[in-house]
Amino acid sequence: MKIIQANSALAKKQEKSRSRCGSVVTRVAAGVLGCSLALGAFGQEVPEDGVYKDRIDWGVLMDLSGPTSASQGIWTNGFQDYMRKINEAGGIHGRKINVLAEDNRYNAATDKINFEKLIGQTPVIAISGMGTSASQVGLAATIKGGKVPILGTYTPTKALNEPVSPMVYNGVCGYREMAMAGIGYYVDRLKLKNPKIMTVAIESAGGKEYHDYVAEIAAKYGGTATLTTMKVTAVDATPTVLEVIAAKPDLITIYGVSNTAILTMKGLAQYGSKIPGFGITYLGAPQIFTAMGPQAGANYSFVSCLTPGGADQAPGNKDLVAYADKVGHGAMKDDVNYVFGWVVAQMAAESLAKVGPQPTRAKLVEYLSKGFTVDTRGLTAPISYTPTNHAGPVLLKVFDYDYATSKFKANGDYSDYQKYMK
Amino acid sequence: MLAQVLFSGLALGSIYGLVALGFAVVFKATEVFNFAQGMFVVCGAFFAVTAITILKLPFPLAVLFIIGAAATLGVIIHVLLIQPLAGRPMLSVIMLTIALSIVMRAVIEIIFGSQGRNLTTPLPSGVFLIGDVRISQLHLTAALVSWACMAGFGAFFRFTSVGLLMRATADSHEAAVVSGVNVNVMNRLAWAIGSTLAAIGGVFLGQLQLASTDIENIGLLALPAVVIGGLQSIPGAIVGGLLVGVIEQLAAYYISPKSSDILIYGLLLLILMVRPWGLFGQRELGRV
Repeated sequence: MKIIQANSALAKKQEKSRSRCGSVVTRVAAGVLGCSLALGAFGQEVPEDGVYKDRIDWGVLMDLSGPTSASQGIWTNGFQDYMRKINEAGGIHGRKINVLAEDNRYNAATDKINFEKLIGQTPVIAISGMGTSASQVGLAATIKGGKVPILGTYTPTKALNEPVSPMVYNGVCGYREMAMAGIGYYVDRLKLKNPKIMTVAIESAGGKEYHDYVAEIAAKYGGTATLTTMKVTAVDATPTVLEVIAAKPDLITIYGVSNTAILTMKGLAQYGSKIPGFGITYLGAPQIFTAMGPQAGANYSFVSCLTPGGADQAPGNKDLVAYADKVGHGAMKDDVNYVFGWVVAQMAAESLAKVGPQPTRAKLVEYLSKGFTVDTRGLTAPISYTPTNHAGPVLLKVFDYDYATSKFKANGDYSDYQKYMK
Repeated sequence: MLAQVLFSGLALGSIYGLVALGFAVVFKATEVFNFAQGMFVVCGAFFAVTAITILKLPFPLAVLFIIGAAATLGVIIHVLLIQPLAGRPMLSVIMLTIALSIVMRAVIEIIFGSQGRNLTTPLPSGVFLIGDVRISQLHLTAALVSWACMAGFGAFFRFTSVGLLMRATADSHEAAVVSGVNVNVMNRLAWAIGSTLAAIGGVFLGQLQLASTDIENIGLLALPAVVIGGLQSIPGAIVGGLLVGVIEQLAAYYISPKSSDILIYGLLLLILMVRPWGLFGQRELGRV
């Protein structure tokens, strides 16, 4: 709405400028020249930055057909749908947003090729997503030393996010925050003292990083944490399940792809174990709960800084649900990945609107680096970036799945979790 | 914990053995190295999803549906794709089976989506304890059914006239033709049996894990199993499957998930170097 208002104000200003130009006959030539320059500047192209007369190209680097595509593909749908909504309302300062989504198939080498493509061959003003942690680690130095900002990363890796760079803005709650909220909540819920926690993670840079945070938070509560890993492409989790059963933890926390959560929880149920577990934000899809079934799903929840569509009646949530239904993506609306993509797109669109009618990569970086806030109207707690903090959403809550109504159920409000985030 | 890991290794190995047996039957009869065997496993899981979850058939009827659909699929593939390539170089047939598996995966993902499906059957899913060992009833059922199937098909090949004709055809096509055996019918039967065994494995894997195209990777473990056991050997396929299952579980539990690949395929390489005809295969001798 703000974007549309800004657009109409600009149009009025432009109209006034036109009428002034025609008021003095003797200055017609100079006026025409001035107006031409002004109007020309308004629609000026900067193709090397992905800015054209009628559109702005925005890049997305995600796994759209590989092992993590079930979540990253839906994120991309959420991102594209929000941009589609903006375009239907006239775009940003008269330009449509054209999303160039590149598929890395969860392969860091492919991601590097795609990244170079979006930098030089089909230039974009900025990139969102970057869902493969190995790519983030590999490209961190290039990104930080480059000119294209990464706004709304799908996965928060230390390599890319620390130290804070004007080129990188995290899109989702960090692993540390996920561990803090999830462990804190379960320590209270299960009344644990010296909690024994086990991290089940896929073999990846992000998995190790997440476990380090889990160990840190467990130690804060006087407990311990151990790590067990499985392949990202695993289709059998029996050894992992047996390891969990042998370790007898009070709680498990799962980092990985949908199969990691499904196979682990399902395997535990098959061996009669009722150890509770929570997954990271990305593992909050209804399909995951459906696939693991009510027996295993009763012991599983996920921690998220994003409220799944339909889980409450916040205005932002209602908008998302209505639009997803309208464009035939109703089945995705209660997947946090869809919400996540939607929120990042909102962040991107609002940033472009604030940069003004003649955006460039440099202007966008200048705007972002000064700090900005995003009001998602209830889809998340308010998101605030400062020049020294690019962490993104920091308040989370734990969600369960109600099999009777096929809906997610939040355990409390975002503000209730503030106490765990210290 | 060793006993626990061995139990799960033997249970999963029994399923691999079943799938490997199907592979060996097809290879013995038609000399086709079927890289699509993993996709037959996937098909089994999705036939079960169709029968149980979508069509909501009673379980006995669902079992008949799965077996019928799998056998029909095997016959159709033989008639339409394999038979026309008879006499062609092995490489062409191998390429055909690779292409076939890619096409089958794409078709399944188009129909059912890429997200895995939960498969629930009325098979027992509880747990009981023997000492410290937790016995998953579903794993145990999978192992018992696999053994029953292997024994049943073993008896079929050994004691029935059709089984005898199939063995004769596998030993020598020419001699079988001269003796009046309809070789094409025998080969179709072999494909029907091969795809049915894989599909039964798929039903269990789909329920133990998830009905998704990713279980093709598990199905493909039948390949090292048959090579280790001996390509031409039915008992070899079964033992190879058990070995692969046990090695996989032990390595993943005691070393790391990735190490199971190293140990399984390391053993495969060792067998190929030292005893290329496999543990139970027979060395082929030729006169020059």
